[in-house]
Amino acid sequence: MYTKLSMLNFFVVGNIKMHTSSKQLKKDFIKKWVKGLEICCSSNKKMDVMERKKKIKLCADIALASAKNATTSWSNALIYNAKKDDENAILVDNLLGPESRFNSQRTAHQMITFHKRVRSKRILKKSCTVSQRMKKASPPASNLATCIAKRLVKKRTQVLKKLVPGGEAMDEYSLIKEALDYILSLRVQVDVMRSLANATEVLD
Amino acid sequence: MSHELRNDPSLLERQQARMKWQQQKQQSFFNASDHTMQNMFSTSMPLAQTNETFTGLLSGHNGLDIVKPDPGLMEDWAGFGDHLSYGYMNQNSIMPLGADQSFVHGNSVSVSTSVTVSVSPKKRKADKGQSLEVVTEKEKKLKGCAEEGDSKITHQNSNNSDKATGDNKSSNSKGASTNTSSKDKSKVSEVQKPDYIHVRARRGQATDSHSLAERVRREKISERMKYLQDLVPGCNKITGKAGMLDEIINYVQSLQKQVEFLSMKLATVNPELDFNIDNVFAKEMFQPSTSEFQGLGCTSETPNPAYFQLNSLDQVYCGLDMGINSAEMALRRSLTAPMSIPETFMDSSCFNQILPSAMWDGDLQNLCKMEFEQGTLIPIQSHQYTGKVIN
Repeated sequence: MYTKLSMLNFFVVGNIKMHTSSKQLKKDFIKKWVKGLEICCSSNKKMDVMERKKKIKLCADIALASAKNATTSWSNALIYNAKKDDENAILVDNLLGPESRFNSQRTAHQMITFHKRVRSKRILKKSCTVSQRMKKASPPASNLATCIAKRLVKKRTQVLKKLVPGGEAMDEYSLIKEALDYILSLRVQVDVMRSLANATEVLD
Repeated sequence: MSHELRNDPSLLERQQARMKWQQQKQQSFFNASDHTMQNMFSTSMPLAQTNETFTGLLSGHNGLDIVKPDPGLMEDWAGFGDHLSYGYMNQNSIMPLGADQSFVHGNSVSVSTSVTVSVSPKKRKADKGQSLEVVTEKEKKLKGCAEEGDSKITHQNSNNSDKATGDNKSSNSKGASTNTSSKDKSKVSEVQKPDYIHVRARRGQATDSHSLAERVRREKISERMKYLQDLVPGCNKITGKAGMLDEIINYVQSLQKQVEFLSMKLATVNPELDFNIDNVFAKEMFQPSTSEFQGLGCTSETPNPAYFQLNSLDQVYCGLDMGINSAEMALRRSLTAPMSIPETFMDSSCFNQILPSAMWDGDLQNLCKMEFEQGTLIPIQSHQYTGKVIN
């Protein structure tokens, strides 16, 4: 496993196209992932394919999120969601390790305030719908296109919110920012996993 | 989020640390070339492009009428683009506003000196409020310009925080001191103004505070979308927000599916989750690199062929991979014992020297000589892997 770790480091270092921060992210991710897999398989019970796959994926996700070191909101949300799941909570704690900077209380607080905000928005909307109905008697034709466009954008933001971990609690602007970072990290994750898969496949 | 910032006592220190980091980055950016902005995008954008993209940024805002900059001004902008390129105009959407104003008024403002673009990459979202304070400096410069029916509106941060950026107020109040330091270190020495966002309304546009705040917010969002355009492959032709969002969604979904697929693949490949290196190496066969390459070409297929352009990158470092693997295999065979290769071995310089010169005939002596010459160490001991992680 350690030559694999070092092989992967080789890939990271040797690849000209990668830039320093994603290289750094790759290195951190690899280290943490391999560590996590160790911890996972320290329990000797036999696992079937699906369980293994879940464990691998979980390790990878947690490793990626913790490699971010609590700087981004999606990583915090990812860890928080993983912890909420009872069966994985202990494992996640072990994976994160004692020195992790993840503050579960803060994320929980964020979630609570988010839900409060959503609730208050709904109440506000309900109280305003009557007056809104009076206003929106007949939209002029020129605005129809913009209305449709707005609706499309809204639908898609909803979808994106579900995709990005912790996206529901964000406003549009930070959602896009987080999505950007999330895409970068996902790419790193895919690259690393793919190289490992290829390496094991060739060697076997 | 404002609530998040209020409750976090260490935010100020973190902000300060970040500001320092930003300044260092800025310095290195000024000294070095343009590659620091790459940490936001993995694609490289040559300097020549930054110029165009810069004007693209200027001209590409939704619904804002932009005066075409005359070529005389372009040099300023070129220099500007070189130094403070595209990637750094992150949350500072006011900046192009100011830029337009300078064009309109015909000033060949050396805006590169007057504008402090607070370098705050996307990953540090708490800093975004601070960047808006940059506008105060521009306003000072632009005061000297003749105004043609534009009205200058001073915003309290709270207006903006009602809209998208809820943490401006708190982060600005907290970050006021750090902003002073950053501004001092920048090329402008201006008096620190109170926390206002100065937004200038354009000709023929509504000037009430709400619509201005809306416009600021929209510009920021459209800026972000442009960055995303660079990230997501195949988005260059799509201009609408809805279309862009669609592409982003598809890309994120495909990446997530790839992760699932790859973890499934890894789960099947390894019967025990434990990537036992001995077993793996015991089964290896030394194949010529060409066949390995072809084999890789087949195995790297993913369920989403639409995003296959990633594959070309993969082929590049799959080739590298194979080189690495053969190096290790050769070493392995010659030693006929498991060895631990410390991470220091994985120095790129070492790798570059070994790969072209070494003959893969299992000549241990040559390899060891080379490595020792470069000062790296390969412990030639046959010991099993222990449970220690090499850090």
